[in-house]
Amino acid sequence: MKNTVRALRTKRSLAQGQLAEAMGVSRQTINSIENERYTPSLPLALALARYFGVTVEEMFDDTEP
Amino acid sequence: MTPNPSQQFTKSKWFLPAFCLALGLVFLAACWIGGHPGEGAYSLGVMVVAGLAVLLGGRSETIRGLRGDGRDERFAQIDLRATALAGLAVLVALIVVVMIRLARGEDPGGYGWLLALSGVSYVLAVLLLRWRG
Repeated sequence: MKNTVRALRTKRSLAQGQLAEAMGVSRQTINSIENERYTPSLPLALALARYFGVTVEEMFDDTEP
Repeated sequence: MTPNPSQQFTKSKWFLPAFCLALGLVFLAACWIGGHPGEGAYSLGVMVVAGLAVLLGGRSETIRGLRGDGRDERFAQIDLRATALAGLAVLVALIVVVMIRLARGEDPGGYGWLLALSGVSYVLAVLLLRWRG
């Protein structure tokens, strides 16, 4: 699913590993989300949105196939 | 995202090595009871080596995921799919073996029971998960 995780992360100068640690997931999971290979669970999506101070809708775009 | 207490043990790096050791001890006990302690000791040795390989296997995501300490929701999904694929492979193999034995006019024997068990357990699992979900 298209998302702005990478943009938000780099804006804060965070490494994937740092974000992964904050979210309690592996670095590879963050990488997979950023590359649209993995759609996170609702709790993880909410945690990411809360972490960056945006809404889930602002972070994830399900309008494109 | 914090694991609950029941998940904390399975997310420990000691989970799979401990499981390997426990399984090795069960093999040893079974072989010992069956009068083949040597085979049991060999099986235990194999399981200990496998457990140590996983424990000391480095920091790759696959090893850490299998071991437990690198297991997150994505790896849990991978694990679920891999388990389903492994189950499917066993199921297909059982169907093939049962069909071959039937075609030869032989009794499917234990293979038929295993096939029936897999079908029944699948239906029961669907019912249980549907009820819980």
